[in-house]
Amino acid sequence: MPSGTPSDDVLLEAAIEYLRTELLPTLEGYHSFQTRVTINALGMILRGMRQGAALDEAETARLVDLLGQEGERGTLNSMLAARIRNGDIALDDPGLRQHIRRSLEEALQVNNPKWLKS
Amino acid sequence: MSQNAELAGRLAAALSRHLGEAVKVQDFARLTGGATKGTYQFTAEHGGKSEKLILQLTTVSERMDPSVDATPRLDGTSDARLMIAAAKAGVKVPEVRVILDDSDGMGSGYVTAFVAGQTLGSKLARDPAFAAIGPTMARQAGEALAATHSIDPATLPFLARQDAADQVRIYTQVADHLAPDLPLLAYALRWVAQQVPPPTELTVIHGDFRNGNVIATPERGIEAVIDWEIGQIGDPMQDLGWFCVKTWRFGGRLPAGGFGSREALFEGYEKAGGRTVDPARVRFWEAFGSVRWAVMCLRKGMLYATAEEPISIEQCTIGRRIEEGLYDFLNLIEGRD
Repeated sequence: MPSGTPSDDVLLEAAIEYLRTELLPTLEGYHSFQTRVTINALGMILRGMRQGAALDEAETARLVDLLGQEGERGTLNSMLAARIRNGDIALDDPGLRQHIRRSLEEALQVNNPKWLKS
Repeated sequence: MSQNAELAGRLAAALSRHLGEAVKVQDFARLTGGATKGTYQFTAEHGGKSEKLILQLTTVSERMDPSVDATPRLDGTSDARLMIAAAKAGVKVPEVRVILDDSDGMGSGYVTAFVAGQTLGSKLARDPAFAAIGPTMARQAGEALAATHSIDPATLPFLARQDAADQVRIYTQVADHLAPDLPLLAYALRWVAQQVPPPTELTVIHGDFRNGNVIATPERGIEAVIDWEIGQIGDPMQDLGWFCVKTWRFGGRLPAGGFGSREALFEGYEKAGGRTVDPARVRFWEAFGSVRWAVMCLRKGMLYATAEEPISIEQCTIGRRIEEGLYDFLNLIEGRD
């Protein structure tokens, strides 16, 4: 492994800054659009690197609470999905509502934070 | 490029045959707008004059896969026939000039007149140049829908028939197949299943009537309604609800396409002979529309696993937009929109 300094997220952030502030203004049409989309995609990766682990942990803790049992995040998610589909949990259950809202907000914090403010 | 040149050559031959005179095709270019569709712009020279035209091709890859595709897509011939019927009913659409057939060797497709104007949804919703015409455009959208819903379904026997219950069932199937482990999506689909409105009289509907699928100018507003390829027989309130889905407001503050009020949309619709608007039913379709958009994002995002060609960065990032629709859905059902 190469040295980790600066860390991956710092390298990625510098790359995004170059694309956004220097390259993008020189482009137009197709490449301007594609570069904008690319900058967005790299931003998702950057925010996922920085916040993903903590968000996953918080989600798992909420799932454990809601379902009343321990387990991996993926397993717990498919259990919850099955309970919702089978009608084993009411859609207006306040805990469920809160979990759904929190999970959507957290996902948007990574994928598109602007959507939360729109 | 050479692929384009070959296509332009075949197009010239096809047009010459259909129009009965020699046609030269110039400035043939793929339009950037259609990421998944073969939309081309060109100039045709014939009989001493030249005119700008549009070619629409339905490529094989966009044909329906029943396990992941929820809405049947019309082939080029049916799409063109629906546009012709819409024009007769009084909807402004690009005039269909030629429908391609087997002997053209170009697959399914058609050629229309070129309509000048803006198609970018963000421009219609947020460009100051369109601010003054916004309320007019919302009324015009209502008028276009009233005319669309007045088309006699018997004249278009190829259109699929789907009511609210059908759509919920089909989109749920697609979502359960693609992403069985997403509680957020399961939640939204369960909610819409419980809220399906009672059966109603079905009409011809556009199916994808939204900002982004109209051509408009700041002077005259909506000049043409485009993208008819998922037209079907359905609940007329579906078209009104889809038009108000938050994603299609492109950051604009107003609910109808980002540029107009619901009242203007509904008034335009009713005054032009549309049915009496049922706001609760429109609301259901708006909520379902956000979920439908989330499923469409999911489907786009999963294409990388099955596609034969590399998926563009644009298509990849659409897969990451699932939560936008679901978040809008949740805000809508909690009255926070």
